Amino acid sequence: MSHLKEIFARTDMCTGCQSCRLACAVAHSDSKNLFAAIHETPRAKSRVYVEWLDDQIKVPVLCRHCEDAPCINACIAGAITRSDDNTVITNDDKCIGCWTCVMVCPYGVIGRDKSVRKAYRCDRCPDLEIPACVSACPTEALIYQEVDQYSKSVRKNVARELVTKEGG
Amino acid sequence: MGNRYLIVGGSAAGMAAAHTIRKADETGEVTVLSNESHAPYFRPMIPYIITGKKSASQIILNGSGVFTADTINILTGSKVTSVDPAGKRVTTGAGDIFDYDRILFSSGSRPYMPEDIENLGVDGVFALKTLADAEAMAARSETTEHAVLLGGGILNLKAAFALLEKNIKVTLVVYSPEVLSQLMDPEDAYLVRKALDEAGLVIKTGCSARAVISDDTGVCAVALDNGEEIPCQMICVGKGVIPNLDYLDGTDIRIDKGIVADPFTACSKGDTFAAGDVAVTHDPATGDKTVTALWTHAVEMGICAGLNMTGKKTAYAGTMGIMNATQVADEPFVAMGVVHTRDKDLEVHTDRTDHYFRKMVFSPDGSRLVGAVFVGDITRAGLYRYVIREKMEVERFKNHLVNHTLHYGHFL
Ligand SMILES: Cc1cc2nc3c(=O)[nH]c(=O)nc-3n(C[C@H](O)[C@H](O)[C@H](O)COP(=O)(O)OP(=O)(O)OC[C@H]3O[C@@H](n4cnc5c(N)ncnc54)[C@H](O)[C@@H]3O)c2cc1C
Repeated sequence: MSHLKEIFARTDMCTGCQSCRLACAVAHSDSKNLFAAIHETPRAKSRVYVEWLDDQIKVPVLCRHCEDAPCINACIAGAITRSDDNTVITNDDKCIGCWTCVMVCPYGVIGRDKSVRKAYRCDRCPDLEIPACVSACPTEALIYQEVDQYSKSVRKNVARELVTKEGG
Repeated sequence: MGNRYLIVGGSAAGMAAAHTIRKADETGEVTVLSNESHAPYFRPMIPYIITGKKSASQIILNGSGVFTADTINILTGSKVTSVDPAGKRVTTGAGDIFDYDRILFSSGSRPYMPEDIENLGVDGVFALKTLADAEAMAARSETTEHAVLLGGGILNLKAAFALLEKNIKVTLVVYSPEVLSQLMDPEDAYLVRKALDEAGLVIKTGCSARAVISDDTGVCAVALDNGEEIPCQMICVGKGVIPNLDYLDGTDIRIDKGIVADPFTACSKGDTFAAGDVAVTHDPATGDKTVTALWTHAVEMGICAGLNMTGKKTAYAGTMGIMNATQVADEPFVAMGVVHTRDKDLEVHTDRTDHYFRKMVFSPDGSRLVGAVFVGDITRAGLYRYVIREKMEVERFKNHLVNHTLHYGHFL
């Protein structure tokens, strides 16, 4: 399924501006509008994170939709499935907020919406041509591309695939 | 004809294997024998059957998660009573005979029922394990005002919350000094305990049940070893689980507290495999042999066994004996790896506040993380699991482990 697109992050390009986070939160708000989204309860949440390693290095992190996803194996409610376009999706109706997925995700990118007790993560913006975080990134630190287009060496540099080391 | 794969037990491990085999070997014949009457379901979801929040059809396995393959032949109500590994043949309680090329033992576990409690066999005494148990508890709960739960483990806490939700008074009788003693030291459970107390659970620690007292309606009280007698209409026993192994009696399959599996999930006889609660595996955190009672582990080991059965040799990475996440009332918690640290030669860092509790357990020389407990704030717990499981040298980011500020960037 390598013809399917993924979101890649390039640490060397990220300035830590947080535009992706804002765009992500708005894209996942009810109103889809920044000014209205701020007043929504529960507050719209970003599913992409920008981690600061030091002043020089910022690391955008989001769900890798791992090939051998530990969260799918772990979910005790059957709420996590892989869709036809290879996206790993948490089904809100089935999620019971037991947080087993949070415990097994080696990237730390599954959030907890405490008000509704549901887990949330990147869904690659199914209704948009290009995911909101990618569109919003001013430095092309986030790009949306097919895997084979995206050279292996770059990919390695960006995100060591932690999950290939997992069991099973 | 394709390979004949036979699977004993149709739950997390057995069904994960069945779906994996189905996808890897299209011509193989996959047959699952299950002694339950219900089609395979997400076992950890059965507390929602007690509350009525979910129906049986809403928790079935098929079609969700890793359970998405077609045409697996599942025979419910089929109890395997004997196995002949040399002749590659099993017999069921109904006398049916199944020949196989490869077999998986994924018969899981059943609740341990303490023999020293008298009269456990009466109506109204349960142990929550199957969907049928949950349905029976739901039915009995209609006439229950007070339920007494024996054991303070995570299963009984789940059962307790299900019953509280139905406005039933619940008393937990715990022999240990505190609830969840398998998952944390007593003094580390203070936030969980507070949440339970506030939720209205009555908890009696340091005592245990001696006898069940019954009349023509079934259980009507329980007598404790401290002389107390508590009137109740329901009892739920949560004293741990034991592996289902009886059907292997008389075979030379190696058993040691469970079915012994090698690193490739194979048992001591050719073409036999084991996975899930019934299997003995190893703990990557401690290196010890371990038998777990974890859904996550059963699924991962089942997938691994399925691959090995189709000839794709795959090592199982093992699992931590303790690896639990859940939420009780408003308090989420995660416990993994080495969590009991009293009087042990380990480097331990704790942070104890009114809102969260955290314990990071390092090897004696402080170079590796071997366990972690998070209560109240479990943010990014998976990163810590990864550090434990991969036995990473932690020097570079140790302060972030101790202060709960670790993020993915630290791994780069
Ligand atoms: C209420 C509850 C909540 C839980 N919550 C969690 C949780 O939050 N997280 C977690 O990790 N784990 C949880 N668990 C534990 C988890 O469900 C088990 O670890 C898991 O189901 C083990 O899977 P298994 O396939 O190894 O065996 P089991 O689920 O025990 O299934 C084995 C199957 O084999 C059948 N069988 C046994 N003997 C025979 C035979 N001779 N012939 C035919 N069939 C046979 C049994 O009837 C059963 O259907 C929970 C369990 C319960 C009961």
